[in-house]
Amino acid sequence: MEPIKVLEVKGLSKQYKKGVYASEKVTFDVKKGEIFALIGPNGAGKTTTIRMIATLLQATEGDALVAGYSILTDPDKVRRNITYLPDEAGAYKNMTGRSYLKFMAELYADNKEQAEEYAAEGCRMCELGDRLDDKISSYSRGMQRKLLLARAIMSKPVLAILDEPTSGLDIINALEIRRMIKNLAAEGMSFLISSHNMLEIEYVSDRVGIIAKGHLLETGKPSELLEKYDTKNLEEVFEKAVNAQ
Amino acid sequence: MKFFNLLKKELKEMLGLQTIMIMVVSVVALVFAGQAMSDAIDESSESQMDITICDLDKTEFTDAVVTALKAQLNESGGELKEVELESDDYPKELDRLDISSVVIIPEGFTDQVEKSESADVSFVQKMTSLATMSNLNTGSQTALGFISAAVKSTIYAQKVLDGTMTEPEIVLLENPVTLNETTVVADKSESISSSAVLSMCSMQNMVVPIIMFVLIMFSSQMILNTIATEKVDKTLETLLSAPISRLSVISAKMLSAGTVAALQAIVYMIGMNRMMSGFTDNLSAEGNYDKALEALGLTMGFKQYLLVGLQMFLSILIALSVSLILGALAKDAKSAQTLILPITLSTMIPYMLSMFLDLQTVSPALRYVVYAIPFTHTFMASQNAMFGNSGIYIGGIIYQLVFLIVCMTVALRIFMSDRIFTMTIGGKKKKNKHEAE
Repeated sequence: MEPIKVLEVKGLSKQYKKGVYASEKVTFDVKKGEIFALIGPNGAGKTTTIRMIATLLQATEGDALVAGYSILTDPDKVRRNITYLPDEAGAYKNMTGRSYLKFMAELYADNKEQAEEYAAEGCRMCELGDRLDDKISSYSRGMQRKLLLARAIMSKPVLAILDEPTSGLDIINALEIRRMIKNLAAEGMSFLISSHNMLEIEYVSDRVGIIAKGHLLETGKPSELLEKYDTKNLEEVFEKAVNAQ
Repeated sequence: MKFFNLLKKELKEMLGLQTIMIMVVSVVALVFAGQAMSDAIDESSESQMDITICDLDKTEFTDAVVTALKAQLNESGGELKEVELESDDYPKELDRLDISSVVIIPEGFTDQVEKSESADVSFVQKMTSLATMSNLNTGSQTALGFISAAVKSTIYAQKVLDGTMTEPEIVLLENPVTLNETTVVADKSESISSSAVLSMCSMQNMVVPIIMFVLIMFSSQMILNTIATEKVDKTLETLLSAPISRLSVISAKMLSAGTVAALQAIVYMIGMNRMMSGFTDNLSAEGNYDKALEALGLTMGFKQYLLVGLQMFLSILIALSVSLILGALAKDAKSAQTLILPITLSTMIPYMLSMFLDLQTVSPALRYVVYAIPFTHTFMASQNAMFGNSGIYIGGIIYQLVFLIVCMTVALRIFMSDRIFTMTIGGKKKKNKHEAE
């Protein structure tokens, strides 16, 4: 039986002005329980593609379906099925970690009980312990990122969209976050992540999409791509894919 | 060399396109306001020399005084208009004659002069606003000075030359005329000088514009900073990707800024009221001005406060919705500071103009430009309420409502679209053909 597709991206484009494409005719899909990674250098069009799927930017061509809902015609329903963690995102610095998770949980939950459930799950996931009652302004970058990641996954969305989830983190924190993502995917949550750290992606993702200059050049499992391009790592795959374009 | 490199970098950062654009707009707006003031002052100084006079005594002496006054005014470019008052119902008479002020030489004036008594002269002035320039009338002072001089010379001719002058008469020469002033507001009149009315009302009405100014600036700054900070921290992206309507996001921001601003307003209102009553209570007690102002309908009752409050509320909502739009243009907190300037100017200009000029008497072009600034109507609200200009008041409210709806629609459209993330002013980044992140 064919796995359920939670995201279908069909020819998605973003044109800022005539002839200037940030993202052009991007097509891929993400299945239930899958970690799909968009990889590419800075300025490749990863964030633009992700922000279109997160209903923040409007596509100029194409469409994407999240849990069957179109980002063009049903953005509200799409938002009910996703969470989005922007790259370099911050949190409300005057709040404590706990109150931030509670505040965000209330936005995603349908009722008070569910909100409390989400917030409790967030508090558990971020592993910040007593520091949860401190102001976010006193958190280190790693602590803040863990808090934000917990916020993005505490409500167990159909699709969690994470832009550079481990950017700026030390090795230990990055490893913890990767492990957390893998565990949640094993439980059935789907992830669309972006990164320019291709070694990280090789470890964490089930499938990858190589994007450069707004075009999706390749999609496939990391092992398939390594075999296809006869390379040892995804960085070399990326180099060969771009050169072959 | 290193210093100049640093200096160049700092200047480039501080003097961006956004700052330059706003500076240009500010200069144009201030030049426009200055020109408007200058035109109004020119017009006012021309009309200040025009005098309307009514001679009720009709003696040879008063006839000679009026003729001589006419000649003197003609020499100095002024004009003397003689009118006949049919009654002492001044509001009606001024309306009938279509004049704003009149110097009255009452019956018995010549008798008083001949008896070497201080002669009475009346001056009636109609007030249509609390603007300083519209209530200046040096013509009346000219007339008074001229009549005094005429009386003096008569006394001098009659008494001094034939050596029959008594001591009280010598004292009288210093102040031979007593001026009785009457102020007319709409259909009411009261024996009080317009300058006294103006200074009392100005002090009382100073509170509303100051509060307005503080409120608009404070709430706008809050909204602008919130949006700029949320954009920089990317918390806005998190918020707008959550399952919550954009209208709720906007409304929550506006309502919270409005609530804090209102709280500020109450605190300032109490403080300012206490401070102003410190001035006005003493003045009122001394001059018994309170009763006169009440008789002229120039005091604010509950209804007036309610109407002014309504316009203040509308103004704050407008300021907040404009700030939402400007906030969407802000790249960061620094640019948000610059973007507040259009709001500052559009608050300051009508505030100053309404303080000095009666907008109903300025040229139609200027009037419509100033009325187009929505905050003008709130600065004029207490005057309109007191002077019974209900047409202008209602028109102002309707205009403010329309303006608010338009601004809210624009703000909502920006927040509903991706312009909230893509729009900036003066912040154009150089991008490669495919660069987007």
